[in-house]
Amino acid sequence: MSDRRIGVYICHCGGNISDYVDVERVREAVQGEPCVVVAKTAMFTCSDATQQEMVQDIKEQNLDGLVVASCSPKLHLFTFRNVARRAGLNPYQYTQVNVREQCSWTHTDDKEGATIKAIRLIRAGIARTCLTEPLEPIIIDTVPQVLVVGGGIAGLRAAIGLADIGIAVFLVEKSPAVGGWINRLGKMYPHGKNGGQLIAKLVDEVKKRQNITLFTNAELVEKSGNIGNFNVKIRVSGQGNKKDNITANVGSIIIATGFETYQPKEGEFGYGIDGVINLPEFKELLDRCDGIPTRNGKEIKDIVYIYCVGSRQQPDLENPNLYCSRYCCNAAVHSSILAVEKDPKSHQYHLFKDMRTYGKYESLYGQSRETGSTYLRFGEDAPPAVEKCSDGKIKVSVKDLLTFGEEVEIKADVVVLVTGMVPRKNDELVDVLKLPVGRDRFFNEIHPKLRPVETVVDGVFICAACQGPKNSSESVASALSAVTQSASILKKGYVELEPLMASVNPELCHWCDVCVKTCPYSAIEKGEDQGKEVARINKTGCKGCGGCVPICPRDAIDLKGYTDAQIKSMIDGFLKETF
Amino acid sequence: MALVNPDFVDEVKRSEEFNASACMNCGVCSAVCPMGIELLPRKLFRYVLLGLKDKVLDNKETIYSCLLCKMCEANCPAKVHIAENVRSLRYYMNKKVFKL
Repeated sequence: MSDRRIGVYICHCGGNISDYVDVERVREAVQGEPCVVVAKTAMFTCSDATQQEMVQDIKEQNLDGLVVASCSPKLHLFTFRNVARRAGLNPYQYTQVNVREQCSWTHTDDKEGATIKAIRLIRAGIARTCLTEPLEPIIIDTVPQVLVVGGGIAGLRAAIGLADIGIAVFLVEKSPAVGGWINRLGKMYPHGKNGGQLIAKLVDEVKKRQNITLFTNAELVEKSGNIGNFNVKIRVSGQGNKKDNITANVGSIIIATGFETYQPKEGEFGYGIDGVINLPEFKELLDRCDGIPTRNGKEIKDIVYIYCVGSRQQPDLENPNLYCSRYCCNAAVHSSILAVEKDPKSHQYHLFKDMRTYGKYESLYGQSRETGSTYLRFGEDAPPAVEKCSDGKIKVSVKDLLTFGEEVEIKADVVVLVTGMVPRKNDELVDVLKLPVGRDRFFNEIHPKLRPVETVVDGVFICAACQGPKNSSESVASALSAVTQSASILKKGYVELEPLMASVNPELCHWCDVCVKTCPYSAIEKGEDQGKEVARINKTGCKGCGGCVPICPRDAIDLKGYTDAQIKSMIDGFLKETF
Repeated sequence: MALVNPDFVDEVKRSEEFNASACMNCGVCSAVCPMGIELLPRKLFRYVLLGLKDKVLDNKETIYSCLLCKMCEANCPAKVHIAENVRSLRYYMNKKVFKL
C-alpha cells in the first residue's frame, strides 16, 4: 500500500466550495496522508487548464491514483475518468469526492464543520484509491434491431430514422391504427400543414421500408436480457379474443408512448355545461366546419378561452399538475387565428394567467392580436367563473388585471378550456421495463440537458411527450435524438459496461445458493471451477448493487471497485481525528 | 360588474387604421405624455376593446384633453396608431354622444 502514488486535487468551484470550506486547510490536512504525492487546490478543477495540469502531474510524477474533491460524480465522474485515461492511468483508479453537495452547500451555517467533513471525506477517498486496481469495461456484442413502443408522430419518425441507417425496427402500437394525436388534427402551427396528412406521409414512408415491422393492437408484455441484446415478447390481439405472442431480439428499446389530454373535473371552469369544451374538442370542431364554425346548428360568434386548465395548478390541490404543459398557449392562440380565418366577424377573448407563446411562436400571439383577439389576464387568486345563462349563452366573469382590476362579464357561445397534457397511464409498461417515473408521473430521463433521452435502464430510451409536455416538432426532435443514441450503440457493434460488479472467489465459494435469491437482476447462476460447483456472476446482468456481498456466509463475494477492504479503509479514513 | 360588448369596438372603428388591440399595455405612452394624462391611452383602449362603453363615456374630459402631439405614437414599441385611435374615439363621441 505504501508504494502507491496518489494525486489529490481540491476544487474551489469558483466559491461554491471555498466560501464555506477552508480549501487551503483541507489541502494541508490531507497532503501528509499515506501515498499522497501531489496535493493541490484549483479554482475550477474541471477547467481545461487544471485538467491539463493533472495529466502532466500524473505523467511526470508517475501517479497511479487520482482523487478529485469537487462536485457530485453525477456531474464530473466521467470528466475526470477521461483525465485519467488521457494521462495513461486506468480510469477506475480515480475517485471523486463530493465536497460541494455534501459539505459547502449543505453546511452553509457551519464553516468549521463543513471543512472538517471535507477533510474526512477526502481521507476516505484517498484510502479507497490506495486499494484500487485497474479494471476494464465489460464488452457486449449488440443486435442491430430496435423495438419502438408507440406509433404516434415520434414513434413513426424514429422508426424511419432507424431504418434509414440500416437498423431493423419492430414498431408496436397499442391501438388499431398508428398516428396518435397528430392524426386527428387539421391545420397545425407554425406551417399550416394538416396533421392527418403528415401522418399519412410518414405511414407511406414506413411502408416503403422493408426493415420496419409494424404491429398494431400490440403491446410489449415481457422483457429480459440487457442492453445490446434484449429478448422482448410482443402480444398482438387479433380477431375476437385471439392473441399471438411474438418474440424478438433487440439491441435497444425506444419508448414513445405519448400523453393524454387533461380531462377537467365536472364543474371545473363550468365543465359539464353545454358549450364548455376542451381544446382537442374545439380543434376538432374547427377542423370539421368548412365555413363559419357552428355547434348544434348554431353559429359560434363569441369564444372565450380559459388557459392553464389542468396545468400549473395550485400546490394545495390533491395531486396537482405543477408543470406548464408548454404546447397549449400556442395551440389555443393558433386555434383562435383559425377561428377568425373561418369567421372574421367572430370575437375571441383569451383569459390567461401567463401567456407563453415561446420562441418563434411569439409571432402567433402578435398575429392573433392583429386579427382581433382580446387578451384578459386573471390572477391566481381569482379564477374566472363560468355559468349557464337562460338565453343559452355562457356567462364568464373575470377580474381583468390588464384593465386595472376591472370586473367584467363576457357572454360566450363556446368556452374553450385550454387543457394541458397529462402522462398516459402505462402501469404495465412501467412494470415490464422498470421505467423510472417522476413526481409529475411522466417518465424520467437521466439528465434533462445532457442525457435527455436515456433512462437509468441501460438501452431503454424515452422520447417525446411520454417524458413531459412537448409539441410535435419537439417530440420529433427528441425521437430522432433517441434514434441517434440507439444507433451509436448498435452501429458500433458492441457496448461497454461498467466493470464495477460482483466477483466470486471460487476458492471460498461452496455454492450454497443464498446469493442467488438476493440478486434482483437474476445475474447469479451455478458455475464450475476446477470440478467444483461455485456461484458465477453473469457479467451482463450484474448491476453492481452489492446485495449479494454481505449475504454470503463465507465472504466469497466482493464488489469490484467497492471491495470490503476498500470500505473498511474508508471508514478508518473517516475516523481519523487530526485536522 | 360590466358586460363586455364585442360590437362596441366596431362602432368606434372608423377605418382599418384603428388598432387598439396591438397595445400590449407597456405604459410608455403614459410615461411620455406631455399632458401627464395617466389614463391615456392604454387604459382607454382596454375599455374600448372590451366594449365598456360607460367607462369610455366617464372619461370624456380625458379624451378631449389629448394634444394629438403623437409623442406617444413615436415611442410606442407596438406601433399603435394612438393619435388616430383617439381621433376615432372623438369622432364617435361627437356623433353618438354629442350628436354633432
